[in-house]
Amino acid sequence: MTAAIELGGLTKSFGSVRAVDDVTAEVRAGRVTAFLGPNGAGKTTTLRMLLGLVAPTAGTATIFGKPYGELADPVRQVGAVLEASGCHPGRTALDHLRILATAARLSRKAPLRVLDETGLADDARRRVGEFSLGMRQRLGLAAAMLGDPAVLVLDEPTNGLDPQGIRWLRGYVRQLADEGRTVLLSSHALSEVEQTADHVLLIAHGRLIRSSTLAALRAEAGAGCRVRTPETERLSALLVAAGYCVCPEDGDLVVEAAAEQVGELAAAQGVVLHRLNPMARLEEAFFHLTEQPEQPSPVDGTSLHRATT
Amino acid sequence: MNALVRAELLKLRTTRMLRWLVLATLLLVVVTIAANVSAADADDPALALHDPALLGQVIGISFGIPQVLMTVLGALAFTQEVRYGSITSTFLVEPRRSRILLAKAVALVLVGVVIAAATLFVTVALGMVLISAKDGNVTIGVQFWQVVVAVVAAMALYGLFGLALGALLRDQIVAVIATLVWLGPAEHLLIDVLPEIGRWTPGGATFGLLQLGPAIATHGTLLGAPVGGLLLLGYTAAVNGLAFSVAPRRDVI
Repeated sequence: MTAAIELGGLTKSFGSVRAVDDVTAEVRAGRVTAFLGPNGAGKTTTLRMLLGLVAPTAGTATIFGKPYGELADPVRQVGAVLEASGCHPGRTALDHLRILATAARLSRKAPLRVLDETGLADDARRRVGEFSLGMRQRLGLAAAMLGDPAVLVLDEPTNGLDPQGIRWLRGYVRQLADEGRTVLLSSHALSEVEQTADHVLLIAHGRLIRSSTLAALRAEAGAGCRVRTPETERLSALLVAAGYCVCPEDGDLVVEAAAEQVGELAAAQGVVLHRLNPMARLEEAFFHLTEQPEQPSPVDGTSLHRATT
Repeated sequence: MNALVRAELLKLRTTRMLRWLVLATLLLVVVTIAANVSAADADDPALALHDPALLGQVIGISFGIPQVLMTVLGALAFTQEVRYGSITSTFLVEPRRSRILLAKAVALVLVGVVIAAATLFVTVALGMVLISAKDGNVTIGVQFWQVVVAVVAAMALYGLFGLALGALLRDQIVAVIATLVWLGPAEHLLIDVLPEIGRWTPGGATFGLLQLGPAIATHGTLLGAPVGGLLLLGYTAAVNGLAFSVAPRRDVI
């Protein structure tokens, strides 16, 4: 499958600070790819270079094989929602979209269509200054969808959204990917990415440190579970004897073993369990990876800073 | 390019700013005309009541504030987009940023001509009524038409000047304050105190273009209308050349 987005040795320095350092990756169509990393990792700068807003110090960023600036009718090919992008607060949502549609020579109906798609149809003639942050995010998405593009680039799209809005966004993004579009979204929140993305590009300190599916990351992170039992001491002793690492926590036992293994051992020994919850240790792995970028970490079997999704 | 110009005109039309600025300017223009005509006197060398050039001079003077408006409007055309972050969407729609600047320039020239026409309508009508009421000279001669053409051209050039200033400075507050300080006290002070230098400033060139020598009491020190016009054009071209070469290359962060 041909990659819709390709980053090759992408590097950006601001003075002596290297914000993005030799990032190479591919993003394919039909799935949601998350650009995951802590704040200041270089996600936004990378996306801005991809969209031609920031000039790279070195390297290339292409969409369908061309730099953004060379795309014919870019709005019809790429939609983007970036942090710090907005519109005049005194302008109505409809006028904001009409301006973009006019400049891009899109249909007069396009603004109303995207307002409807993003649930803002009833607020079309309200001034944007009256909008909540969540509504502004929706308006940003509406603007991105004006040209019905095949590629969506979303920078921290859940910022400011309430839980209902986040849920709506997850469904919307999933629908877009299921339609065959390429969705690249950035996030600093692992919990959010876990529920949205098919593929993850992990970035820290400007470097791409991992390109992987979430399932592969989970498998690598290892299993764990939290168990509650009235026979804490007995179960703890049994688990330690079986070679598992056990840690008491808030009256529960946190065990570095799959929930199935703990459950089977308890059943075999007749230990009563009140609760047994699998625990994702992905978060730990995320922190470990992003806090130690200098540690060699192969990416899909290739070099540290090369990634292919 | 037509689509981009239409979008820029839509931007100007879809906020209240333009309406309020134009309204405030027209009100100040009325005050300026009334004050100047009431000050005109038969023996006044600056505004002589029976001078055939009086109407043209009154009109020229009254365009001082509209020129400030156009410069501010030009500066805001770029800096507001930076302030509110819409510059990102603008550049995503048209990544060739010089074309965006060009579209803004064309839109500002068109708006400048419209505002100039509206201001002329007010100033000519009010000026004629007030001068006639004082039995003054309301001759509409060659000099009058020269001033009419000059104010329209000056309005367009000031809009372009403001746009370039905004594109270079990017910060809305800095751009507006710089405009108000320079076009307000700074240039006037320079023209009054050091006319030999002041006449070469953009404001001094404009006074020359509008043939306002006697009206601002510096007769003989201002440049002639053709030289003043060319100098103003030169300033505008220079600052726009700089803006068109620098602004499109900057990172949008």
